Amino acid sequence: MGTILVIGIATGAVYGLFAFGLVLVYKATRVLNFAQAEIGAFAAFLTWTLTNPVHLPWALAAGIALAASGIVGMAFERLVIRPLISASRLTLVVATVSAGLLVGGVELKAWGGNPKILSSPFTFRGPSIAGVVLPPPRLVALIIGIVAAAVAAWFFRRTTFGLALLAAAQDVVGVRLTGIRLRHLSAFTWGVSSVIGGITGIVIALSLGAFAPFFMARLMLLAFAAAVVGGMTSLPGALVGGVAVGVAEATIAHFWISVPGLVETVMFGVIVLVLLVRPSGLLGRAA
Amino acid sequence: MAAKTLEREPAVRTTFSLSAPRPSWQVGLVFVAFAALSPFLGRALSGPFNGYHALILCFGVTYAMAALPLNLLMGYAGQISLGHAAFLGVGAYASGIIAGRLGLPFVLGLLVAMAAGAVAALVIGLPALRIRGLYLALVTLGFGLAMYSLVFRLRAVTGGYAGIAVPRPKAGTFEFSNNMDLLAMVIVLFGAVWLLDRNLMRTKVGRAFLALREEEDVAAAFGIDVPRYKIYAFVLYGAFAGAAGSVLGHVIGFAQQETFTFDFSLIFVVIVLIGGLRSRSGVALSAFFFGASPRLFGFLHDWVLLVAPALVLFTLVRHPRGLGGAIAEIQHAIRGRRSAKIESDDDEAAGHLALPRPVATDTRDVEKPLVVGDVVVRFGGLVAVDGVSLDVEHNRITGLIGPNGAGKTTLFNAVSGLVQTQQGQIVVNGVDVTKMPAHRRAAAGMGRTFQQIGLVKDLSVTENLLLAQHRLASYDPVSALGFLPQVSRGERRLRERAAETLSVLRFERYADADLGELSHGQQRIVEIAAASLTSPGLLLLDEPSAGMSPAAAEALAERLIQIRDEIGQTIFLIEHHLPLVMATCDRVHVMDSGRLLTTGTPAEIRRNPDVVAAYLGGRAR
Repeated sequence: MGTILVIGIATGAVYGLFAFGLVLVYKATRVLNFAQAEIGAFAAFLTWTLTNPVHLPWALAAGIALAASGIVGMAFERLVIRPLISASRLTLVVATVSAGLLVGGVELKAWGGNPKILSSPFTFRGPSIAGVVLPPPRLVALIIGIVAAAVAAWFFRRTTFGLALLAAAQDVVGVRLTGIRLRHLSAFTWGVSSVIGGITGIVIALSLGAFAPFFMARLMLLAFAAAVVGGMTSLPGALVGGVAVGVAEATIAHFWISVPGLVETVMFGVIVLVLLVRPSGLLGRAA
Repeated sequence: MAAKTLEREPAVRTTFSLSAPRPSWQVGLVFVAFAALSPFLGRALSGPFNGYHALILCFGVTYAMAALPLNLLMGYAGQISLGHAAFLGVGAYASGIIAGRLGLPFVLGLLVAMAAGAVAALVIGLPALRIRGLYLALVTLGFGLAMYSLVFRLRAVTGGYAGIAVPRPKAGTFEFSNNMDLLAMVIVLFGAVWLLDRNLMRTKVGRAFLALREEEDVAAAFGIDVPRYKIYAFVLYGAFAGAAGSVLGHVIGFAQQETFTFDFSLIFVVIVLIGGLRSRSGVALSAFFFGASPRLFGFLHDWVLLVAPALVLFTLVRHPRGLGGAIAEIQHAIRGRRSAKIESDDDEAAGHLALPRPVATDTRDVEKPLVVGDVVVRFGGLVAVDGVSLDVEHNRITGLIGPNGAGKTTLFNAVSGLVQTQQGQIVVNGVDVTKMPAHRRAAAGMGRTFQQIGLVKDLSVTENLLLAQHRLASYDPVSALGFLPQVSRGERRLRERAAETLSVLRFERYADADLGELSHGQQRIVEIAAASLTSPGLLLLDEPSAGMSPAAAEALAERLIQIRDEIGQTIFLIEHHLPLVMATCDRVHVMDSGRLLTTGTPAEIRRNPDVVAAYLGGRAR
């Protein structure tokens, strides 16, 4: 039981972090960002190139990769989302889906379809909790998740910029009248969510061992399930939802390891069920 | 508005075709003939054109067949599926089990594949009735990944990683073992789907899809049962996708997990977008290219995932109509019709507003076509309509005025069933409609217009008038698929009525123009005509003069009076343009802050100090 909880919380933190990025974009621009997963994968591939063939120090490589994914996200916001922001939601879904596919296509072209292996930079052995050794990347993701939640809570509650961001999702004109540049707000969220995608991409790549383009598709489903459970508009909800999804996954893996794809199927069911029964999720407010 | 800067006179169509389009049995005949001859053709052509090429073409045509249902769902009905591969997979595995494992005829496999696809789509589509918008993207995404990682991997059902062999189709003793024969079969099936799709879009079902994509409220106001038509769209999508999946299985020879991946789903979204939403030929062409070219030109394979999504993003931002838009432009060029923006004089347009006599329905003439009793509408804590009681007299023009935010449009929406009432009763033409959904209220003989034009901008004027007659098309949706004789007859009747309406409005030359190309005033007139056409009992107009010039509004006033006197319509209108209210209304209700302030003749209203205070923002005594 303790084992399940520890594994569940540790993996769930990654899902929660990823869902956090999805919710951030959704809160600010009402767009479901289906591109975040592949932008995250892109960061993992870039880190691989910068550490393996190029031999940069790990921290520098990861830093460059994260900056690059942030730039990709902001460029996408500038070139596609902003011109389409008043288009139908269907169009915007298609746009982010295509963007994800495009980044995936770049990865296929640049790195090929063969799996890559990202070696871990962490030389220390993870702490042992309830008999489970927590791998260092998971530990790092857990810490980043908690820090990100704290920063976001401060940002959205205490800063003008953060409040304006939330207000913009409700009333674009109103925010414009206050003199805040909406463009900056939107670009900023897309940048942050892409960096979050990058962090999770690197963490997942490390814990998977080998990774190939589109390896994040499964994570995207789990993270969307987490976001929906959390209510789609609640940042703490996303983290809590992520942990719930992680624990559910660990439970399923523990008891029904032989059934393939049960986790994905259960998460699909969870999405449908939550949306039907309680669309505002656990912590979201009614729209 | 009045500036006539016509570079070229829009082509005047002197002959407006009265006949409904005929069922395209000729095309069908060509397909059948092709199928019958194909075994011979196959052998005759086998010199320069070998079996390998035929197989590649099979892939192209199959992709086209697989893309059409997604176009139906996304392009026509405005719903999204990010799990298209899973629906195709359901079809392929169904055929694998029926035709492969059980050795039954491939036609049976095809039918089972269609049924399985339809059931899957129904299950996915039902939640979409309650959950609007973005959530459908999530649910279909989840469905796609769940099918991929669980169902398509179950050894007992779908053969695990190895998958199931889907043998070459057999019809009686004839086996489609030659690739040319297979190609002929694939083309025939693709042709069948194309025809059904085309038939559908020429009937009320297709128009209903387009309307609900545009604006569900508008669709409901025309009497379209929105949830039902959404379900139709899903079921048709699932059935056609299942059929395409079955064919894909036969063409590949295998149903395997690795075929139906997440990115395979996304590629079909890309295909539809590049082809151009709603454009059957554009989508088919783009899908054919995607299916055939990577196999024909091997080097393209790597580039497809790179170029295609980039093209979609470019298309979305720069050319929202996609390949289909380009095809339409070429067609226009060939026919010598330019889609020139039609400019015209609003004043003149309004002058033409005479309405065709509405079609008699079985609504009774009642003294008071609308009686609203103590209606309350709350949005959360906000009370938008607070216990309003009023009525509208037969064959009179009744006005509803009041300052912004008084709750006038909300009251209209409550009457037409677009918002829920918390309390009170609404009686239309003697029928208590309080508990009825919006589309059934329309059937009680009530038509309405919206502040924003309540029609579909990218449909032609004629098509909009056909859409408005949705309730009068009595044929059932299944026969619409086959464009059976009764459908053909029904459609012809609707077309005659649309043509009559256009001639009364003297809008014949705009018959085939997109509604969006007309001036605002003209659009408004088409809208009023459309609403009046099927609603002899009661016409609700929400700010009909909004956006019109004063002269046009004056002309509109004359026309409204004419409608009342000559056709005997009952009109209930919200209006801010007070001269219009004073000129037309027999009686005026005034609302303020969700309450009925007073009722009286225009002259009484003008003198009422409470009304003046409400408008000037002062406090009533």
